[in-house]
Amino acid sequence: MTQILFKDINKKNLHTMKVYEGIGGYQSLKKAFSQKPEEIVEAVKASGLRGRGGAGFPTGLKWSFLAKDVFPRYLCCNADESEPGTCKDRELLLKNPHLLIEGMILCSYACRIETGYIYLRGEFHDLSLIMDKALDEARAKGYLGKNILGSGFNLEIHTHLGAGAYICGEESALLNSLEGGRGEPRMKPPFPAVEGLYSKPTVINNVETLCVVPYIVNEGADKHAALGTEKSKGTKLVSVSGHVKKPGNYEIELGTPTSELIFNMAGGIQNDNKLKAFIPGGSSVPMLPADKVDTPYDYESLAEAGTMLGSGALIVIDDSINIVEATLRLISFYMHESCGKCTPCREGTRWLHQIVERIMQNKGQLEYITKLEDICDNMAFKAFCPLADACVAPVVSSIKYFRSDYEEYFKNVPAGVAR
Amino acid sequence: MSDVTLTINGKSVTVPKGTKVVDAAKQVDVDIPVFCYHEKIGPLGCCRMCLVEVEKMPKLMTACTMDVASDMVVNTLGDKVEKAQKGVLEFTLLNHPLDCPVCDKGGECPLQDNTFKYGPPDTRMEFHRANNVKATPLSPVITIDRERCIACQRCTAYSERIEQDCGLVMLNRGFHNEVNTFNNEPYDNRFSGNVIDICPVGALTNTDFRFKARTWDLTNQDTLCANCGCNCNITFGTRLNEFMRIEARPNDAVDDGWICDKGRWGHDFVKNKNRITAVRENNIKDTKPTSLPNFPIDTPTAQAAEKVVEAFKKIADEYGPESIGFLGSPYATNEESYLYQKLFRLLGTNNIDHKSYLDTPGLPIDHYDIEQIESSNVVLLIASDPTEELPILDLRIKKAVSRCGTKLICLNDQGTALDKYADLKVKYKVGSEADAVDALAKGLAGELGESTDFSSNLSQTGISNDEMKSLVEAVRSSMKICVVYNPAALSGDTALRVKRLLSIITKIPTIECGAIPAAPATNAVGAMDMGLVSDFYPGGVSVSDGEKVKELWGETAPTKAGLTALEMIAKAKSGELKALWVHRSNPVVDFPGRAQVVEALKNLDLLVVHDMLETETTQLAKIVLPSNGPGFDEGTTTNIGGRVQARKKALDSNSIDDWKLISVMLKRLGDETDYSRVAKVLDEISKKVPGYQEINSRLVGKLGCNRGQVSNEEVSPGNGKGAQSSDGKLRLRLAKYLFAHDKILDASSTLAHHFKSSSAFLNEADAKNLGIANGDIICLSGNGIEIDAELTVDNRCMAGGVVMPKVSDEQGINGLLKLDGSPTWVDIKKV
Amino acid sequence: MAKYKFTKNQEKEISGILEKYPVKTSALLPLLTLVQRSDQLVSPEAMVAIGEKLDVSPAYVQSVMSFYTMYHTQKVGKYMILFCINISCQLNGCDKLLEHTARKLNIKVGETTSDEKFTLHREECLAACTEAPMMRVNDTYYGNLTEQRIDQIIDSLD
Ligand SMILES: Cc1cc2nc3c(=O)[nH]c(=O)nc-3n(C[C@H](O)[C@H](O)[C@H](O)COP(=O)(O)O)c2cc1C
Ligand code: SF4
Ligand code: FES
Repeated sequence: MTQILFKDINKKNLHTMKVYEGIGGYQSLKKAFSQKPEEIVEAVKASGLRGRGGAGFPTGLKWSFLAKDVFPRYLCCNADESEPGTCKDRELLLKNPHLLIEGMILCSYACRIETGYIYLRGEFHDLSLIMDKALDEARAKGYLGKNILGSGFNLEIHTHLGAGAYICGEESALLNSLEGGRGEPRMKPPFPAVEGLYSKPTVINNVETLCVVPYIVNEGADKHAALGTEKSKGTKLVSVSGHVKKPGNYEIELGTPTSELIFNMAGGIQNDNKLKAFIPGGSSVPMLPADKVDTPYDYESLAEAGTMLGSGALIVIDDSINIVEATLRLISFYMHESCGKCTPCREGTRWLHQIVERIMQNKGQLEYITKLEDICDNMAFKAFCPLADACVAPVVSSIKYFRSDYEEYFKNVPAGVAR
Repeated sequence: MSDVTLTINGKSVTVPKGTKVVDAAKQVDVDIPVFCYHEKIGPLGCCRMCLVEVEKMPKLMTACTMDVASDMVVNTLGDKVEKAQKGVLEFTLLNHPLDCPVCDKGGECPLQDNTFKYGPPDTRMEFHRANNVKATPLSPVITIDRERCIACQRCTAYSERIEQDCGLVMLNRGFHNEVNTFNNEPYDNRFSGNVIDICPVGALTNTDFRFKARTWDLTNQDTLCANCGCNCNITFGTRLNEFMRIEARPNDAVDDGWICDKGRWGHDFVKNKNRITAVRENNIKDTKPTSLPNFPIDTPTAQAAEKVVEAFKKIADEYGPESIGFLGSPYATNEESYLYQKLFRLLGTNNIDHKSYLDTPGLPIDHYDIEQIESSNVVLLIASDPTEELPILDLRIKKAVSRCGTKLICLNDQGTALDKYADLKVKYKVGSEADAVDALAKGLAGELGESTDFSSNLSQTGISNDEMKSLVEAVRSSMKICVVYNPAALSGDTALRVKRLLSIITKIPTIECGAIPAAPATNAVGAMDMGLVSDFYPGGVSVSDGEKVKELWGETAPTKAGLTALEMIAKAKSGELKALWVHRSNPVVDFPGRAQVVEALKNLDLLVVHDMLETETTQLAKIVLPSNGPGFDEGTTTNIGGRVQARKKALDSNSIDDWKLISVMLKRLGDETDYSRVAKVLDEISKKVPGYQEINSRLVGKLGCNRGQVSNEEVSPGNGKGAQSSDGKLRLRLAKYLFAHDKILDASSTLAHHFKSSSAFLNEADAKNLGIANGDIICLSGNGIEIDAELTVDNRCMAGGVVMPKVSDEQGINGLLKLDGSPTWVDIKKV
Repeated sequence: MAKYKFTKNQEKEISGILEKYPVKTSALLPLLTLVQRSDQLVSPEAMVAIGEKLDVSPAYVQSVMSFYTMYHTQKVGKYMILFCINISCQLNGCDKLLEHTARKLNIKVGETTSDEKFTLHREECLAACTEAPMMRVNDTYYGNLTEQRIDQIIDSLD
């Protein structure tokens, strides 16, 4: 299988300039600077690359939305990586920081950006040091700074650490956080491409997305477009975790069956238990039952199956646990991470939590299930940002596929609890 | 701006581009429920109460965040929206106590109303509600009940976007968020009270009003705040003729929907124990015999007034009309001031004034409304400190700067809180405003082909050539400028120089311009307009314009300029002025030379004071007449923006209305005009006063209307020079603070936390020379008196000056000034 | 309130941080982090000082700070143990391990040991799910935890 991002990932000292250049690192710059910026945007469009951060928005198209003739513009690399189950960006940053820098330089050149920030979640302090070091190396080599490689193009990139808030992965909350505010999402429109950081046109891309760009520039858009499926082009890093024998980040061509990831790459289910469910794209997407395990891992097929590819985090659940347990854990996460700005999310997440907790204490009533569904309906697509929808996803899908797991808890309701 | 046509619930509506759907809906009487949205604060999108269906959009949309678009089809009815509304309300009510019967907001609560109209029949919440804290103080005047808070964030957004101090914030996140201040300190800026009005539930309440009355038992009068020249619109709530509370009553042209805390809580005077409620004759030992009969106790005020005015007539007959004078009030209504000037001119004198500084009526350019600040490219503040003097003007300027792209320029002798919003700050030395203003005028005259050399003016001012150049350039290139100046803070004849500057600006063809004369007193503009000045009849008609005067005021109307207020006091001292009538004024505290004023007033044969509260001046009066101040009175006032608005009676008093009392006296002097209602006075004003021609009570209505231009006679300033250095002494600049410990805000006031102690602000250089430091207690001496103050060394003014705010009546700071109004130099030593 | 003083070194670092941004307030999180790294908490005095540096009100500083979970207003132990309890770790038995850790340290989750050496907190996903169960001690990630490994790690910290 073709590997774009992980080809050399385990090469020793890949994080150093020397080794990185040794495998052809930063070669794409010369090629890029010989083209007009717009040509690169076109190439990225043609490559079919879609955002790897969660929403899967076509990257080239996003770049072309920047407000015309408004400068300065900014690039923000989203290295918040806070979607439960996801840990692919961390591996890229840890082992191959220069790839990201190269990608950011290309994006900045293509979009006429002179300042870039890498927004790392606060917990990534160690990575920020690695990144800073790599940035210093790139600066020393003249890949950053003024008049890069004599092209007349200037670029500075800085790291910026968050301080513990999942919502800061949402792009507009990220901007608020980077501006020194509370990480609450912003109203859209205006979209960041029009009014982003400091109210200026801003590109926000995920680490993985930006890391693909050097390949596109080096090898050509066609080569990238030839990978994957008709509509889901290229490769994807998938973090496989949970009840698997060999959890890890695996790079696959989009369209590879999910079962391949679980049973082959990740070595199958722990203790040879039975697969019960899997969450294909990070905790925010609906889970699927075992019988959907052959669904090809690409945007369209997963959507057709009623879920999403999301950030590419495949969480595998075997039959050793009751799904409600896992669901409660996820609700608890969203309750904890709700920024509190809007009512349905702030109140809804907590209410769902109260109800499911009560169910798990064997104090529930059968009507609770209908009530959960109704509360979810009142939350879904009515909140300020998608966090509320994310909280609803595991609840609705767990009820849909594993209603019997809920019913387990109603069996031994102790006497005296109101019906 | 172009218009957009859309359809809401099948009704077509056309609104300006940029309008939010929620506001467009109002135009066609479609009610979209909201909690977090407030037109003046702007969209937040927090509460999700305003969800509506928009054709071609898969999700419901929030009407408060959504701009209208042409051909948009909005639907606020139907199952989908209804379910969403019920759902959102259910979430909103989850942790909100159902204590409406005891909640202060009950009866006027958007949450209660929305629940009633759109809510679910009952709650499905069977768990314990969050245990948030019940009522606790958020400040000395505001109570917060976090249990009731629905986290709509109106209040915190207000703090961030409107008052802009960011004192009230949301702490924590998610379900744990709470409205709070830094480190639990009080939220006590000048505009804090507005959060009470905007909180859509009973979470933020007026501590003073809590438990006093149910909202539906209140009688609400739409009237005006009388604390400063902004004349913000308020609702004055009473119950059984007792004051209950004040709320903002939005008027875009004036207050933009906000009032300051002085307006909300500075109302102690209505029940002050020092209120004058009956006519009184003081037993003043030294007074010379007058022909006034002794009043028996319980003499009706009107009867006493008739006798007193007769006594004035007698004195005028005996010693000539120059021997009597009238000191009017910049706080009185137009009707009162108009009638009073009429009365005294009928007595044959032009010894009429209301102020201790020099100024003339009218402007040589447009008089801008406060609202026009928003549409100006540049606001030039001259010697004005809106934050301390006219708080609502401060909010408007901040709004213009932060949201309308307006640039602020400050030309002042002291630093102010608005400086941080300024694009350009030019500071001149205390007392050198005449030169500073002249230099700017000269620089601009260059545009008109006149001499531009302003360097000779600058030497005394401390302004550098480059600074003045950039100031000139900023004004010259402004395209549209609004000049806001405070005549009361300008020394000598600088007010006239400002007018000369204004007439130069108006001649520059590329500039559209207007001005706001921003004297702090409530009706300073009205007092000028109504002719409470020694050299102008109402409407800026000069006393020397014999023909016009005769035409309007009759053959016998005096045409010789009278004495100014300060001259009257000087003549009282010399014995040439025999009788003085003071209306709602306290010269002992407010005029320069406290001790000298007292001495002069004591020397009068007859001093009459017509006031609402006992003051240092009433103590010196032979006769004290009760006046009905704000709350009790009615009439119109003209704010700094030239807007004429109606002050309404909210409380009944036992005293006769001031205008009525004056009309009784007029009648006694033979004036036969029918003044049966106060509106009749306004009718006469509209006939007699240039600028007020069209104005009548119907036009004034609830929101007021702008008066026209009053005549502006060009009076040339003298050649007086500004600050001359006077052997090492420091030139004193008094600063006026609205939130001061005075007759309105006494010691027991709920706003006492705003009182400052006596303090003086000095430049580093001077402090160093004098060997004194921050925090030292110093003693300022001048005019034969000494006043202690705590020193702040902060470069608020340039070297050679000292700024001292008037923080209380007790402080006696006016005693440092010379009675003749000439420059004041003080010595400073460490105590 | 006593005045908070930044050290000379901190002042230098602060200037460096400020250079990264065209708008000062962007430095808010970095400054809070800087203070916390030296004081193990952010005191109200420090909030005032940071506010002054960046021209924002202390209330604003507190509002922003209280939004993020990594800042503390109470002193925490020398070692801050953040134990991930999110789904991948849950599936791999983190609950039992967390209990074990608490027992070993003889504190409840959320508490600090009496010698102020360790503070133990539950933490949401730390982006190391493929190494679940995992925890973070100060800046270091430890994955594939077992009871023995936890004991070893804790014992090796001094
Ligand atoms: C609640 C929420 C959390 C998110 N967290 C992340 C994240 O941690 N990392 C990320 O790259 N994108 C995250 N996203 C997606 C971003 O908003 C944004 O779509 C993405 O960074 C765009 O980059 P891309 O086009 O390269 O994917 C999140 C979105 C939401 C709604
Ligand atoms: S206190 Fe009132 S205005 Fe402020 S957030 Fe709560 S409900 Fe809204
Ligand atoms: S009024 Fe629209 S979201 Fe609150």
